[in-house]
Amino acid sequence: MMLTLIVFGLLLSGCLAWFADNKVLLGIKLQAKWLSLLAVLVLSCCFLLLVYCSEKNFQQLQLFARVPWIRSFNIDYALALDQLSITLIILTFFLAVICILVSWQEIQKKTGFYYFNLLATFAGILGVFCAVDMFLFFFFWEVMLLPMTAIIAVWGHEKRYFAAVKFFIFTQVSSLLMLVAIIAMAYIHQQQTGDLSFYYQDWLMLDIKLDVAQYLMLGFFIAFAVKLPSVPVHSWLPDAHTQAPTAGSVLLAGVLLKTGAYGLIRFVIFLFPQASENFAPIAVTLAVISIIYGAKMAFAQNDFKRLVAYSSISHMGFVMLAIFSFNEIAYQGAIVTMVAHGLSSAALFALAGIIYQRVHSRNLTDMGGFWQSAPRMGGFGLAFAAAAFGLPGLANFVGEFLSLVGAFQVFPIMVIFAALGLIGSAIYAMVLFQNTFQGVPSKLVEDLSLREICICSSLLVSLIILGLYPNILLRYSFGALL
Amino acid sequence: MNPVDKVSEITLMNTEMFIVLSPILLLSFGIVLSLLLIAWQRSQKIIALFSQLILVFTLLLSMHLLSSGILSGAGVQITPLLKVDQFSYLSLSLICLSALAVISLSKQVLKSQVEVHDEYYLLILLVILGAAILVASDHFASMFLGFELLSISLVGLVGYFREQKYAVETGFKYLILSACASSFMLLGIAFIYSQTGNLSFAINSATAPWHSAPLQLFNSIGVLLLFSGIAFKLSLAPFHFWAPDVYQGAPTPITLLMATVSKIAMFTVLMKCCFAQGYYQNDHFIDVIIAVALLSMFIGNTLALKQQNIKRLMAYSSIAHFGYLLIVLVISAEQSIGFAWRSALFYLTAYLLANVAIFSIVITYEQYFSQNSTEREVCLNDWQAMFWQHRAQAVLLVFSILSLAGIPLTMGFVGKFYLFNQAVISQSWWLITGLVIGSGIGLAYYLPIIFTVFKVNSSAATHITKDNAIKAPKIFIIFLIIISFYFGVFPDSLSQYLL
Repeated sequence: MMLTLIVFGLLLSGCLAWFADNKVLLGIKLQAKWLSLLAVLVLSCCFLLLVYCSEKNFQQLQLFARVPWIRSFNIDYALALDQLSITLIILTFFLAVICILVSWQEIQKKTGFYYFNLLATFAGILGVFCAVDMFLFFFFWEVMLLPMTAIIAVWGHEKRYFAAVKFFIFTQVSSLLMLVAIIAMAYIHQQQTGDLSFYYQDWLMLDIKLDVAQYLMLGFFIAFAVKLPSVPVHSWLPDAHTQAPTAGSVLLAGVLLKTGAYGLIRFVIFLFPQASENFAPIAVTLAVISIIYGAKMAFAQNDFKRLVAYSSISHMGFVMLAIFSFNEIAYQGAIVTMVAHGLSSAALFALAGIIYQRVHSRNLTDMGGFWQSAPRMGGFGLAFAAAAFGLPGLANFVGEFLSLVGAFQVFPIMVIFAALGLIGSAIYAMVLFQNTFQGVPSKLVEDLSLREICICSSLLVSLIILGLYPNILLRYSFGALL
Repeated sequence: MNPVDKVSEITLMNTEMFIVLSPILLLSFGIVLSLLLIAWQRSQKIIALFSQLILVFTLLLSMHLLSSGILSGAGVQITPLLKVDQFSYLSLSLICLSALAVISLSKQVLKSQVEVHDEYYLLILLVILGAAILVASDHFASMFLGFELLSISLVGLVGYFREQKYAVETGFKYLILSACASSFMLLGIAFIYSQTGNLSFAINSATAPWHSAPLQLFNSIGVLLLFSGIAFKLSLAPFHFWAPDVYQGAPTPITLLMATVSKIAMFTVLMKCCFAQGYYQNDHFIDVIIAVALLSMFIGNTLALKQQNIKRLMAYSSIAHFGYLLIVLVISAEQSIGFAWRSALFYLTAYLLANVAIFSIVITYEQYFSQNSTEREVCLNDWQAMFWQHRAQAVLLVFSILSLAGIPLTMGFVGKFYLFNQAVISQSWWLITGLVIGSGIGLAYYLPIIFTVFKVNSSAATHITKDNAIKAPKIFIIFLIIISFYFGVFPDSLSQYLL
């Protein structure tokens, strides 16, 4: 019940922010940004309370709600949580606050509708992380897409329509493949037990023939690989990231990509263990190609956000590599990488937004020498670039190290190639930093304001904490496979 | 039951049959009354009101019959010609609903003219009668009767505004092609008759010639010709060429009538015929269906891609939608017939609501243009920034477009979900591939419409500001939004009627 309230609370407060924007109540001029910030803070507190106060053991999925929804298909409204989803939901809430703070001044037109879309996206993402009825999961999976597309299409940069359509079509077509697989699973359940079921826990009991399972697994895999994204279905990501407003990029890189990784773990690996083990060599090859290709493409970019976008492809390659290694260490590495990348890429995109506000360009050739006029910004920039290339002491290092160590035991040659990606990441991160902050000062820019310092330092602090004391995450098993 | 028994039943129409047939009887009686009404007093207001009244009563009667349970089970055979079951009356209710929408939209359009347009409403009622006969028919003869009634009345309506630019062209195009289609169909029926010696749909499928013996040439040609006649009406590729031109040239309410009433009725009779005759057991026929479906999905969606004229765009999109809908004809076993009906009716309901919404918005814009004496067609660009000026109308439009595109929260998604289920049950992977790819291409023209609506700058040539805009009735808009949202999120509330 409480969980439902939190998910729909986000949606409702989005509506509230939309309608109350610029209205005067009791002599106070209501502003959508304050309302949504308040809503996100309150609801995240509610969520933390919910998790801390419940006596449940979150190593397994714990059901929070299950009521019949569409009886003619035996579809339930079912929500559940476990350690994996709780971690990702906390990340989502944290980045939600960041997103709102980032758009504080950037978004000047149609603010009410903007914050409605932002909160609706969060609601959809939350739903994705806790839905355990597959129809409901698909429902949220699509619902989070709509407001995200609106954010890109209305508040984005110059080529926003193209980027939004591309983003939407990629995700939609791939998720229809998943829908086919979902329906097929439901009918397999009907064949084996006599009842149609879309319930995740029921599906875990199914015994599916390997040849069928492989096709079904592929249906899920494609949907999540597009979201992750992995080569060869990555091409929506650079466009979407580049054209989205800052908060949109933060949201995309920080959380939306994680839904792909989450889906791979929860649905591909857990539902089809044997089939995905057979598929692992292909998946790992794709992952390694993504790592190297992403890094290579990143240091060829002139556009700040495009560079970070390609680096995301590279980082998410590590996640896929680790997931398909079927190794406990790698699995934990994957989760740490997910969280770490969520924070570090969000930080870099926030930085891109901060710079864009000052110089109105994303082009690296228009930047340079910012350290002189804005040393604080430079300091944060250096730290975030270091996080991106995996400097020890920051969270990304832990994640990538664990992923590589774990995966090495299974795919040694592949991992050797993957490790080359680390060198690539050092190059692009330094290219990024040097072009922006060093060299001949091209312009004088204002240093960070208080709000921006808050954004950057909170991200940096969490990166450092996770980097120095990764046990915060590592002590949980996340329903490990082995 | 052999034919002789049936003949003896014809002579006796018992009370139950009268009751069951009452909506259609009421409709025909209403048409006679409105003829008398015209002879007595020519007034557009009265005739419009009267036709609406007839439709409302027909709707209520058929709903009442649906809920009374008379129709449950195999349905009621009324003479060899007609057989009414719950699916027929569900379609009839849909048809009446959309006809009501057509009439209320026509009232807005006809206001601007000087003449008294009583024949216009009469023709609409005749179209509905044709559709009603189609959905109830159980015999090739009654099917042909309904088909012709529907087509000929539509021809009159399509070219109704004779002084408009495309009126003559459109009317002729529709007349000639429609006549061709019906002659093909007639030839097909004749071929089928030559093989089976029976014109009834419900011949015993166990003795059907294509079931036991190897397929006979004449019979398969007959079925093919029959299907092509129906496919013309459904504007399935490769019989789709008339659709964009006629959609564009016809008065917009009539376009809506063609897009909904005529197609729903034709699809219902196609399903009745296919299921009763057991065509789904025939692999060749299924292959043809799959080919036509794939072709329609592909052609409809790709031709819509660069389309700027909304009415033409809707024509192409409806080609694609009926391509999707053909999936329900491909069933593997007799048990799935019920599910196929439910899928089709749900999908048609979603399609109907979306079309009514979009065309009513097109009409408001056309009205605006004609008031400002810049008579022209509605293009995509005219809808720029609608969201920021006419909130409710734009929300309705966005909802309907999303519904056509099959995105969750809308009925269209649940309809598509039904179709996916249907295709997975019958394991027709080609159709699934077509559906996935078709939906993907479809997004490429549905999304730009939505983006146009949300566009912030309004540098459009025709900038409709808030005060001088013509609004569609607000209650109507809000009602449609709520209905399509409610059925999209809680499809059970609709599908329990489809049992």
